[in-house]
Amino acid sequence: MKKTIYIFSDGELHRKDNTLCFEKEKEKRYIPIEDTGEIMAFGEININKRLLEFLSQKEILLHYFNHYGYYMGTFYPREHLNSGFMILKQAEHYMDQTLRLKIAIEYIRGGGKNIRQVLKYYQGRGRYVGDKLEAIEKLLLDIDQQQDIPSLMAVEGNIRSWYYKGFDDIICDTNFVFEERSRRPPKNFLNTLISFGNSIMYSICLSEIYKTHLDPRIGYLHATNFRRFSLNLDVSEIFKPILIDRTIFSLLARKMITAKDFDRDANGVLLKEKGKKCFIHALEEKLKTTINHRDLGRPVSYRRLIRLELYKLEKHLMGEKTYTPFIARW
Amino acid sequence: MEYVMVPVTGTLIWYYYICQREVWLIGHQITPDQSDSNISLGRYIHENSYDRERKELVIGHSKMDVFRVSNGELVVGEVKKSSKYSQSARMQLAFYLMELQDRGIKARGELRFPQEKKLEEVVLDENILEELGRASQAITQILSLQRPPEPKKINFCKNCAYAEFCWA
Repeated sequence: MKKTIYIFSDGELHRKDNTLCFEKEKEKRYIPIEDTGEIMAFGEININKRLLEFLSQKEILLHYFNHYGYYMGTFYPREHLNSGFMILKQAEHYMDQTLRLKIAIEYIRGGGKNIRQVLKYYQGRGRYVGDKLEAIEKLLLDIDQQQDIPSLMAVEGNIRSWYYKGFDDIICDTNFVFEERSRRPPKNFLNTLISFGNSIMYSICLSEIYKTHLDPRIGYLHATNFRRFSLNLDVSEIFKPILIDRTIFSLLARKMITAKDFDRDANGVLLKEKGKKCFIHALEEKLKTTINHRDLGRPVSYRRLIRLELYKLEKHLMGEKTYTPFIARW
Repeated sequence: MEYVMVPVTGTLIWYYYICQREVWLIGHQITPDQSDSNISLGRYIHENSYDRERKELVIGHSKMDVFRVSNGELVVGEVKKSSKYSQSARMQLAFYLMELQDRGIKARGELRFPQEKKLEEVVLDENILEELGRASQAITQILSLQRPPEPKKINFCKNCAYAEFCWA
């Protein structure tokens, strides 16, 4: 599978003959274009139109993040997989409240069940999360009864707040207490990690959507305003607990990321470059991990599972097979 | 949902003899995974074979891979990765020949398998024309379905770029 290129340093990214070249002060690095799936730019990079044309031609997405590691946007080449049929189906399911709610419920259910799975794992390892699990089990039963998106979001909020209560029990490190979920800017180390991980998750999902016939601007849980991407936020709900949160827990447990990997400035807490690299390395390893897919009869990576999730949504929209989210079994 | 009918094309004929579900999907522009290795290989062979011949003859909705004129006769060629699905390939090429014939052009067809260094002749006859008519009707019928035909596990699924879509 094609690689994700992460750029942390400052420099210039340009087209060099028929490949990519990243030029730093004294150093030139060539990036094989045919092997590149997407580019994540964290450093200050200079680009020109020739590069953008090249990326468009090769259908490569360029995601960029700000100084704090927040997702800022994507250079999104023109859509190359157009299916009028699929877009109409997607819109049809958004505009009809009943149809929309049906899909939104599945996203919340998927996210919630994967959250439960993560907690169960740590319960098995002797962490005290039983009360959170119990509360979440009850909330999971409420999901189906919700009549509209706001009340569904409220249930989701409750699940999440119980889940976050379990973080301190799982991590057991006074440097990484949860306190409360703070964003833009995150106020403590743990929130910085969560935000950083989620940012990457959103862009990975967007890249996968780009390879399907779905329009990323039409989401079901997250409101569509036809300007911002929202379908990638929906899909991320399912994968955040099992990919991002698990990566955070394992990095902290192994002390691979410690308090020393952060900087504090006037605007909040920043993850230093070394920390970001460490995080991404661990996440990439996770994304490459394969599991056996029963119906497909072959092993698929976690990254591929995201794509399969989108195919399932396409089939739901086509009226072929009702969408059920991916639930981790371990 | 109202849907604009797509005309039958050579590509659809090719798919028809492999998997009917594919006909529906392609007809609705739901293309298979473009990064699939077989698709990449096919594209590569298409782009890098027969450099010295003229490429891509477009007539109506059809696009023929290579063509030449020999002894005052037009020869159109269809390039395929392997001869594994030769019935599909024959019918696809026959469809092109029929399109040419409808326009008053007499042509011969050659199926080419550059990797196998093989070549097969295709000539239109009554039987093939009749079969093409039947296939075209069946394709129009499939395309008009509200939903794609259910996936069936067939031998072709193993190497199909739709496999993940169908079995997800």
